[in-house]
Amino acid sequence: MPQPLPPKEAALFRTVVRNYDDKQYKRGLKNADIILKKHPKHGDTTAMKALILNAQGKTDEAFALGKVALMNDMKSSICWHVYGLLWRAVKKYDDAIKAYKQALQIDPDSAQILRDLALLQMQTRDYPGYVQSRITMLQARSQLIQNWTALAVAHHLNDDRATAEKVLDTYESTLKTTPSSRDIEHAEIVMYKNRLVAEQGDYQRALDHLDSAARSNLDRLAVLERRAEYLTKLRRNEEAAAVYRALLNRNPEHPEYYDLLEAVVELGSAEERKKIYDEYAEKYPRADAPRRLPLNFLSGNDFVQAAKEYLTLMLNKGVPSTFANLKHLYSDSFKKETLATLAEEYISSHNDSADATNGDGTKGQPAALYYLAQHYNYHLSRHLDKAMHYVDMAIEKVPQSVEFHMTKARIWKHKGNLDKASEWMERARTLDTRDRYICTKAAKYLLRNNKNEEALKMMGHFTRAETIGGPFMDLVDMQAVWYLTEDGEAFARRGEEGPALRRFELVSNIFDTWVEDQFDFHAFSLRKGFIRAYIDMLRWEDRIREHPFYSRAALDAVALYVKRDDRAAAARANGDVTNGEDAAERKKAAKKAAKEKQKLEREAAERAAKKDPNKGAKDGANRQIDDVAGLKLLDAEPLSTAMKYVSHLLQFSPKNIHAQLAGFDVYIRRKKYVLALGCLNAAIALDASNPKVHERVIEFKHTIDPVLATLPPKVQDLIKSEFKAVPADNTAGQYNQEFLEAHKESPPHVVSAVKARKVLGEDPSKVEKELVALVKGEKVTFEQAGEILEVLKTWKSKEVDTFRALATGRWPQVTIFS
Amino acid sequence: MDIRLLQPSDLPLIQHANLENLPENYFLKYYLYHALSWPQLSYVAVDASRPRTSPYDHPKIVGYVLAKMEEEPSDGIPHGHITSLSVMRTHRRLGIAEKLMRQSQRAMVETFGAKYVSLHVRVSNVAAIRLYRDTLGFTVEKAEPKYYADGEDAHCMRLDLGPIRAQIAEEEKQMEKLTRAKPWVTWGEIRALAS
Ligand SMILES: CC(C)(COP(=O)(O)OP(=O)(O)OC[C@H]1O[C@@H](n2cnc3c(N)ncnc32)[C@H](O)[C@@H]1OP(=O)(O)O)[C@@H](O)C(=O)NCCC(=O)NCCS
Ligand SMILES: CC(C)(COP(=O)(O)OP(=O)(O)OC[C@H]1O[C@@H](n2cnc3c(N)ncnc32)[C@H](O)[C@@H]1OP(=O)(O)O)[C@@H](O)C(=O)NCCC(=O)NCCS
Repeated sequence: MPQPLPPKEAALFRTVVRNYDDKQYKRGLKNADIILKKHPKHGDTTAMKALILNAQGKTDEAFALGKVALMNDMKSSICWHVYGLLWRAVKKYDDAIKAYKQALQIDPDSAQILRDLALLQMQTRDYPGYVQSRITMLQARSQLIQNWTALAVAHHLNDDRATAEKVLDTYESTLKTTPSSRDIEHAEIVMYKNRLVAEQGDYQRALDHLDSAARSNLDRLAVLERRAEYLTKLRRNEEAAAVYRALLNRNPEHPEYYDLLEAVVELGSAEERKKIYDEYAEKYPRADAPRRLPLNFLSGNDFVQAAKEYLTLMLNKGVPSTFANLKHLYSDSFKKETLATLAEEYISSHNDSADATNGDGTKGQPAALYYLAQHYNYHLSRHLDKAMHYVDMAIEKVPQSVEFHMTKARIWKHKGNLDKASEWMERARTLDTRDRYICTKAAKYLLRNNKNEEALKMMGHFTRAETIGGPFMDLVDMQAVWYLTEDGEAFARRGEEGPALRRFELVSNIFDTWVEDQFDFHAFSLRKGFIRAYIDMLRWEDRIREHPFYSRAALDAVALYVKRDDRAAAARANGDVTNGEDAAERKKAAKKAAKEKQKLEREAAERAAKKDPNKGAKDGANRQIDDVAGLKLLDAEPLSTAMKYVSHLLQFSPKNIHAQLAGFDVYIRRKKYVLALGCLNAAIALDASNPKVHERVIEFKHTIDPVLATLPPKVQDLIKSEFKAVPADNTAGQYNQEFLEAHKESPPHVVSAVKARKVLGEDPSKVEKELVALVKGEKVTFEQAGEILEVLKTWKSKEVDTFRALATGRWPQVTIFS
Repeated sequence: MDIRLLQPSDLPLIQHANLENLPENYFLKYYLYHALSWPQLSYVAVDASRPRTSPYDHPKIVGYVLAKMEEEPSDGIPHGHITSLSVMRTHRRLGIAEKLMRQSQRAMVETFGAKYVSLHVRVSNVAAIRLYRDTLGFTVEKAEPKYYADGEDAHCMRLDLGPIRAQIAEEEKQMEKLTRAKPWVTWGEIRALAS
């Protein structure tokens, strides 16, 4: 039982609650203190005080007080509710749910506690629990539409669509009047119900429902798309075709409609197929898809004819993106050659149109030259000298073209000359300093060239000037994942591991934020009523970390942690327990960070002083990212810190071979042999011939053989039966040799086999010399040579300089070897 | 290129495109807010040419329009607003922006009964102004001095959606005529209608 208060204090308590709701925290605290002065052990007031402190960001104090409140009054639902809210604020959802449930036992009818519980059940995807909560909430207030839809959503997510549908039926039967056809909330309920019917596989019923209940639904596009889909499923092809045509009239740029239309009208020959596209091309003079898509299926002379028409149209207009729009055809070598020939023909037949330029780009011949430059720069038709030749000709004709310069930079990048690439991207930028796209590219190329500081300055041209903390803060605030990733990778290449790890962690934090972002929508979307979009959002959130944005940063981070662990292990093996070298690096990093911090503070003070000369740097005026230099991450135990990334990678991207390899690398070093083997086998299943997989097979064999007998019998059996990559009668050395012989034509495989020899205990200097010798191999590309250099650097090999000299001799223009 | 409705899974790469192209940036949550408040109004252009290299590849977004309905219109007239529009430089002048805008405008009328659509544009943004004024028919309604964070002025532009509403109504009437006898039109009839 809550402790009763005299009327005056009881009224004041209600004021405290209101103060909290209105975010009047100072006043709330003052009022709470007045009550507590007279009733120091009053649980509910103490709890409210804790809640207010928490809202002010004083988490520790709030928790301490929250516990005192509970101690004072274990039987108060408010105390438990507040306790739950405190846990929720620190994202300990399970603890929060427990506390809410305690509160509900005391006060089962509290709508507010129930609502908070339901929100968390959704956030943690406890669907059965959510169903229960929503049933209770509906019983309490069945006049609210959102309580009905919420219960339907609950059943739906709990995989019970039939019940979900029934809930909506019941809701509809309680309506006294038919909602207006402009009632958007009702329109959405109808479409949601229709989706439920279709997801049960009953397309006839779904179609009937659509025809009766959704004929003039406000979501026209969805009605048409669903109708076409159901008719197709029901094999009512002619009617389906009519709807696809209606859809194409709305949006002739959606290739899927053409595909689906073709499927239901069952057109055979390319000629018949093209007729459909011609019809839309004629009807929509500004449409691109009906003109371009037939190039996908036409062949031979028909292709040449159609490609010529399309290319001529685009080049005449001077569309700079023509190549981007056609390059998907390049997997077909005939089409690839044809397009190049057509562009060449265009050039020779438009010899004197060179002066015809349009607004921002070029028409005619320069556009064709530009097309060919991109053609020879593309990985499927690459000939970089030719690409350079064409782009130079194009630039000569139109010296002001941003696009041409940008492409020249790309060509240099592909040639491996990052200095020149960056230099030309900068020239492109200066031709249009108001366009953020080109500025972003200039910054990206600086990062590729390990110029982090200059890149940040470049980014500063377009970040918000008033953001406290400068451009970096703005980029973090605005969740610029690409920048943080590239910045981190550049730091990693520079050997500055602290800032690199911190950047990758910031990316990971952004994903945490994105997961947390959905929380507010659990209530918002039910209120707004756009249920289908809400469910799509939930499904996406469930898998958000499978995004390559996440896996790339996570893999980068794991690779660095593994490297750090290897270095520490090597130092220990040499009797250097403190890992002197890394410790020295750490000191250097700390010094640099301190200097950097001072500089930022000085700049912030200057900025603030400029704004208002009477004030110095205010408190908030030097907002900075906590530990930008990543010193804490340098101090952390590498492998356990890496585990956070590894478990996400394995959970969300198990089909990514690099995720499995990262998992292997961490598990084997942590001596979790069974888990390491699991990753290894998964990697083998994904791509058995991958040289990186081979390296791990050897590593596993070499590691496990000497320790196998010391493992528990069950583990031994498991490993024996699951590790089949190396035949039992083969030694690791033999196996490696066989691999080498089988793949001696492929440089990456040879590199892996040679690297494996070091693992197997061969004389390191001999192995290193062998790696160096590979640089002379005819088939070796400069990119592969770059990887060999990285290996030698990681091993701290004495051969590094020799290798650099040899590689520079062979590829004088490539910058990564200097 | 593929022009289609925005899906929540597009959001990270929409945010990426926005950061790449424009100085006005937003938290992912703000995009989510659009997707969950006006799910019919925002469209993307997807580069369909890139072969998928892993099951986790996300379609590359090369252009987007992020649109909303004005929530409390000061003039009391329901109308749409363009929050953000951009196209990657590698894909400009293909008509992408125009097509994204047209899809969004249509949905504003159909789903939310918008009477007009408004937007802000930098006075120096020649490309965008030509797109809005010459291609789409917007007019400058007024100037907003120092609208942007860096001090630049904005044109406040708007487009009366009346003609689009009339066109949609006409299309529906035609459909209605054809469907009076039968529930839905056949292909041949639609084709006759089109010609
Ligand atoms: C990450 C991403 C958003 C970057 O977009 P962007 O900065 O506009 O980059 P681009 O579209 O110019 O392409 C990136 C580079 O990959 C190259 N590339 C693109 N498609 C390619 C393909 N199919 N094969 C080989 N290389 C390709 C381009 O040449 C480009 O090189 P650049 O540095 O010379 O510009 C984009 O690559 C993407 O959407 N990828 C989808 C998968 C993904 O999200 N990857 C995550 C990486 S963090
Ligand atoms: C403005 C922007 C969105 C246009 O995108 P787009 O897809 O290239 O535009 P479209 O191809 O649809 O162009 C349609 C029409 O707009 C006009 N237009 C577009 N770009 C133009 C340019 N650079 N110069 C002159 N007119 C231009 C033309 O009239 C064009 O029709 P046309 O090609 O038949 O001559 C794009 O340039 C962009 O993303 N810029 C950076 C971001 C930005 O400014 N966004 C707008 C903020 S309000």
